[in-house]
Amino acid sequence: MSTDDSAQQGISRRELIKRTGKIAVATAVSSVFSPFSINVRAATTKTLSFWQFYGPGGGNALQSKWFEDAVNGWNAQSETKVQLQFVPNQEYMNGSKLQTAFASGQGPDIFIISPGDFLRYYNGGVLTDLTPYMDDAAKKDFFPNVMETRIVNDKIYGLPMEVEPMAMYYSVKAFKEAGISESNYPKTWQELFDVSKKLTKGKRFGLLFDTTPGYYQNFTWYPFMWQGGGDMVTPDSRKSAFNSPGTIQALKLFQDSIKLGIAPRSGLGFGGPDVVANLASGYCAIQNVGIWAISGLRDAAKDFQYGVFPLPIPPNGQPKSVLGGWAFVANAKGKDPETAAKFCVWTVGSMSPESIERGVDWCIRAKSDIAPRKSVLDKATAEGGYNSGPMQVFKDQIFPTGRDEPRVPPDVYKDVSDAIQNCQLRGASPEKQAEETSRRIDSFLASYSGATLK
Amino acid sequence: MTTRAEQSIGASGTAAPKRRKLSRGQAEALAAFLFIAPDTIGLLVFVAIPMLFSLSLGFFEVNGFGSYKFVGLANYRRMLNDPLFFQSLWVTIQYVIMLVPGLYVVGLGLALLIRRKSRLSGLFRTMFFVPNVVSLVVVALVWQVLLVDRVGFINQLLETIGLPSQSWLGDPTYAMGAVLLITIWFLMGYYMVIFLAGLQEIPRDYYDAAKIDGANAWETFTRITLPLLRPTSFFVLLVSTVSAVAGGQGFDLIYVMTKGGPANSTQLGIFYIYMQAFQFNDYGYASAMASVLVLILLLLTVILFALTKGGRFHAT
Repeated sequence: MSTDDSAQQGISRRELIKRTGKIAVATAVSSVFSPFSINVRAATTKTLSFWQFYGPGGGNALQSKWFEDAVNGWNAQSETKVQLQFVPNQEYMNGSKLQTAFASGQGPDIFIISPGDFLRYYNGGVLTDLTPYMDDAAKKDFFPNVMETRIVNDKIYGLPMEVEPMAMYYSVKAFKEAGISESNYPKTWQELFDVSKKLTKGKRFGLLFDTTPGYYQNFTWYPFMWQGGGDMVTPDSRKSAFNSPGTIQALKLFQDSIKLGIAPRSGLGFGGPDVVANLASGYCAIQNVGIWAISGLRDAAKDFQYGVFPLPIPPNGQPKSVLGGWAFVANAKGKDPETAAKFCVWTVGSMSPESIERGVDWCIRAKSDIAPRKSVLDKATAEGGYNSGPMQVFKDQIFPTGRDEPRVPPDVYKDVSDAIQNCQLRGASPEKQAEETSRRIDSFLASYSGATLK
Repeated sequence: MTTRAEQSIGASGTAAPKRRKLSRGQAEALAAFLFIAPDTIGLLVFVAIPMLFSLSLGFFEVNGFGSYKFVGLANYRRMLNDPLFFQSLWVTIQYVIMLVPGLYVVGLGLALLIRRKSRLSGLFRTMFFVPNVVSLVVVALVWQVLLVDRVGFINQLLETIGLPSQSWLGDPTYAMGAVLLITIWFLMGYYMVIFLAGLQEIPRDYYDAAKIDGANAWETFTRITLPLLRPTSFFVLLVSTVSAVAGGQGFDLIYVMTKGGPANSTQLGIFYIYMQAFQFNDYGYASAMASVLVLILLLLTVILFALTKGGRFHAT
């Protein structure tokens, strides 16, 4: 009754202003305070969000279709649905979208991460243990050198969908012009420099290492450090191991490539990872890049003739490559972590024929990658995915020498990045940089309390 | 509820006491407050309150995943021992020192060049202003291609006139200079328009009188144009300084073209803060650094206001 009375009489302007003011203040205060109200969950919804960066309309339609097919397959047999959300590549890797989403308690339920980012999310407590949802056979199916950086205390927190080793790509035309036999590719650092000098001609650089500061540049540099026995931290990850001859000579390698004028200080397109803009365009003759470049060239430079050889090694060095690649992870603070974890396992981590076939599809059809699991690698090999050309080189020669991309906290990554940049582009002393960086890493580790660095 | 209904009836006017009529002054004051209310509320909600929160976050360790731990002044102590923070401040100082006068000179120069109306002045005004309407990301990508080692257009141009090519974005010696020049190129049209407006405010009579007195062009510029442009100059200096310190356009260009490199040579303070917050998930430390940057901005503003008597240039 009283409500009706009030409605009939209406409200005065003053009351209207008062009420509007109250609503405005309430809205403003709630929006400002929202970063502090963590985990406000819409408990009633049954749709899980899945963020990744293979959007429709990208360079390869098969890649986004692979994600769509996987999600459609899940949604057809599950009560809890999954919804894909595409985030542009640069925004996903270097932007703030993922970070701001997590900071406001609105992070995706399922997303993909690389080992370089693992500790940030693991130490933040947002990764779900996937182990309980996996068969023992599936756990054993993944290669140990691929899983090392996704496991903490024997628990699996990420399921890789791919393995992406680094190698050297070369232009067949440039080799021919310089009179270099393809079978006589550079096997040592000295040979790499000698060949690159011959290939440096006119506007063309002989060699290209990445020069943009970031996770990717560190990733490309790690194998050169390992080849000479260097490492960032000791095996127990309690002390820095950065100040070593192996590290110093790897810093010097990047520095000398610039000093000798055989490598550019800045690349075309997206720089180091962009093989089409650099190698295929003739900007450089040899490029340090990963296995994904095979599908990149297949899609965007079909007629370009190229070859691949393993990373050259220093005197007395060991062949080493770094194994990158992205993994499915489930948000432990998401709407339904258990179902999100089950989705990850169902998609890329189960022994079902569909899951194995999905892995084959991704690694040899949608993309060009090494499979992270024995069953998938065997099937992909049987289907001819690694029988010839660069894919065979990657599988037979490079992958066996691979070590998983290190997982280090952002502070350590930044220290190492600064050392690489200072030596490569500022001409700083590698010895001094190794010493200073080692001191900084030690200082950081003294108060570090997260998961072990690998 | 009945009481509320009664109150509502009272307030609606049927049984309300007679309203006191506002005086003209009061009504004008009320209107003024109402006019500025939207901006004030907007500033309060979107600037002032977030700034206070940012200031308070500086006293916490915030990992970006919901963990807040009070750490007192630890973030500020860390700042004192962080060489990268000081390096980014030094890069910011260099950027401001070169950008602000550069924008002033180029903006004023262009305005002086095209202030006289001619058949082509409209075309030139448009041409100089056009960069300002293009997306900064596009600007950055285009310049990145133009400046790339050896094959970039700028290097090809240099080589044709016998000069050696340089790595404009890959060499710490040149990278900041390249970013500065692009920023000036991008913003010059905007400041040109502001100076044009200022120039048009100067009465023509002063120039006529100066001409009769036999003043040459330099004397006219230094004795009439510059003094009478002081309010415009103050505005330009204040806005460009704040924009330069806060990263304004520089952040976007650096994010796309150099990522703070080579070797941190273009890492502005604002970019380092961004990295700490969104790449390293250290929101507490980033907030502490942001507070220091705001303090520096406030100091600069106070100094500018003090030097110009609060912008009242004609006050005695």
